[in-house]
Amino acid sequence: MTLLVALTVGLLFAIGIFQMLQRNVIRSLIGLMILANAVNLFLLSTGAYEGLEAAYTTADQPSSDPLPQALILTAIVISMGGTAFILAMLIIISARYKTADMDEVDRLKK
Amino acid sequence: MFSSNVLVVLPILIPLTGAAVAILLRKRRGWQAGWTLATMIASMVFSFLLLAAVWRGGEPLVFQSGGWPAPFGISLVADMLSAVFVVMTQLVMVTGILYAVGSKDKVVTYPTFYPLFLTLATGLTGAMLTGDLFNMYVFAELLVISGTILTAISDDRFGTEAAYKYFYISLLASFFMLLAIGSLYAGYGTLNMASLAANIATKEVSPLLWPAIGFLMATFMIKSAVFPFHFWQPDFHTAAPTAVSAMLSSVVVKLGVYGFLRMTTLLFVAQAPTIRAILIVLGIIGVIFGGLSALGTHNVKRMLAYSTLAQVGFILIGVGWGTALSITAAIIFAFNHSIIKAAMLMLAGYVASRASVKSAAFDIVTGVGRPLPAAGFLFFLGSLALAGIPPTNGFVSKMLFFDSGIRAEGYGALLLVGLASIFTLMYTVRAFQRIWWQKPAEGISTKGSGDRLLAPAILVTLIMVLGIWAQPLVAAAQWTSAWLGDPALYIQAVLGG
Repeated sequence: MTLLVALTVGLLFAIGIFQMLQRNVIRSLIGLMILANAVNLFLLSTGAYEGLEAAYTTADQPSSDPLPQALILTAIVISMGGTAFILAMLIIISARYKTADMDEVDRLKK
Repeated sequence: MFSSNVLVVLPILIPLTGAAVAILLRKRRGWQAGWTLATMIASMVFSFLLLAAVWRGGEPLVFQSGGWPAPFGISLVADMLSAVFVVMTQLVMVTGILYAVGSKDKVVTYPTFYPLFLTLATGLTGAMLTGDLFNMYVFAELLVISGTILTAISDDRFGTEAAYKYFYISLLASFFMLLAIGSLYAGYGTLNMASLAANIATKEVSPLLWPAIGFLMATFMIKSAVFPFHFWQPDFHTAAPTAVSAMLSSVVVKLGVYGFLRMTTLLFVAQAPTIRAILIVLGIIGVIFGGLSALGTHNVKRMLAYSTLAQVGFILIGVGWGTALSITAAIIFAFNHSIIKAAMLMLAGYVASRASVKSAAFDIVTGVGRPLPAAGFLFFLGSLALAGIPPTNGFVSKMLFFDSGIRAEGYGALLLVGLASIFTLMYTVRAFQRIWWQKPAEGISTKGSGDRLLAPAILVTLIMVLGIWAQPLVAAAQWTSAWLGDPALYIQAVLGG
């Protein structure tokens, strides 16, 4: 299970970084979202499933760690806000430049 | 009336509540501006009270939110470092709002401008006061999102483009921070900074410790725009509205400096020599690269943004030397640079608001300053401060910096940095000559009205006051550096016993 999670996190990171480096802004945004999920999965692997019981039961068994789950919940909410905001900016930029190619959005440098 | 621990929360809570109320006031722009200014001033007063309480109390003030004891709940901690940085932040933020109130930009008329300004202050203050790594991530996100929106709605046509660039790179920064948080949690089972520091010092070294250090360093390097993560900063700070860019380039970049100070003096004390060696190299590159790039720009605001790269380089070298004196120098340098850079950017924005086209590009503002001698005088004093010439506060910080460098025997770094700091004088004098001495080109005239000069005037007054009467700041910084030399003080105050 640990190996599987590790491989998944690694694979997601690879895909995310590859997509993020694409010139197309939509693809690079998708890459960013995949990266966010890779990070969340990594957080989950730091101990969310070490016990079998939920943290709030009174059962006398090793309970699973609630903290990574709380962290991921917060991270998901924040990255959702961030993604929505990036999409909004992309609409403005692509309407102004009439392109989704990042290399053509370069008037700032001139 | 209330225990002094509540003071720790107030500089965060007041602007946050104020932002909520300011949204309700969106239909009445005058009220909204007045309310925002009043909120920020109240918050600043409480941050000064906080500094006084921490200073007089002789130990860090801790607020355990929700009453949960330390490693389980979120603690807000104000030691001298946090208190001094919070005072710096809120002081500059007040003048930023003051500038926005007197500004003719279209952006200040947007209903969300002032609320976002307050959440920017909340995020920065919170990130500096929190004693929990994940909470710092949340506040840093609040800061980033507010700052980016404020830039995206800028009058500058390229605001959105610059904001996109910045948001992209800072989302990466937050991934780095989450990875660091995950690594530290997996290794040491806590995210409270005090208990993390205690665990890292006493428990065996986790294999994830060095990756966590690397991720955290990358995070703070992006936050402070340190080479090689600097490329977003000049675009972003040039395109932002003047009032906002004065905040971004002065106090917001100090979050990374704060992070590095916490890393080397609290979290990773045993690993600090390696971190410090890297910081010195990065700082030298920043000073030289920032200075050269500032010389080569064609825009006053862009020049000042590059100059921030150089000045942050100085601070990082101070942190990197790591002696008590050099940390004192770094804190004073950070405080003074915030005031100087905010004043200079506001003056650049003031000149741009009087130009025929609203831009700070040299070929547009050349000669525009000739009918504005008051702004010229302030800009001249600001340039002296930036270059470190007495009787300004810039002199105090540069002198302490070089003094600490000689005592730390960092001669190689001193030589390079000393040469590079001549660039400062060159580019500020060049900007001064072009705006206030040269004749304007054909058909370029100065507009009769523009932004108000009150906010930069206050800041320049502060520059002079802190230059002549530097004793309180130096004493505070020395006391801070003495506290940082003993991480047990912080750990004990948070964990108790």
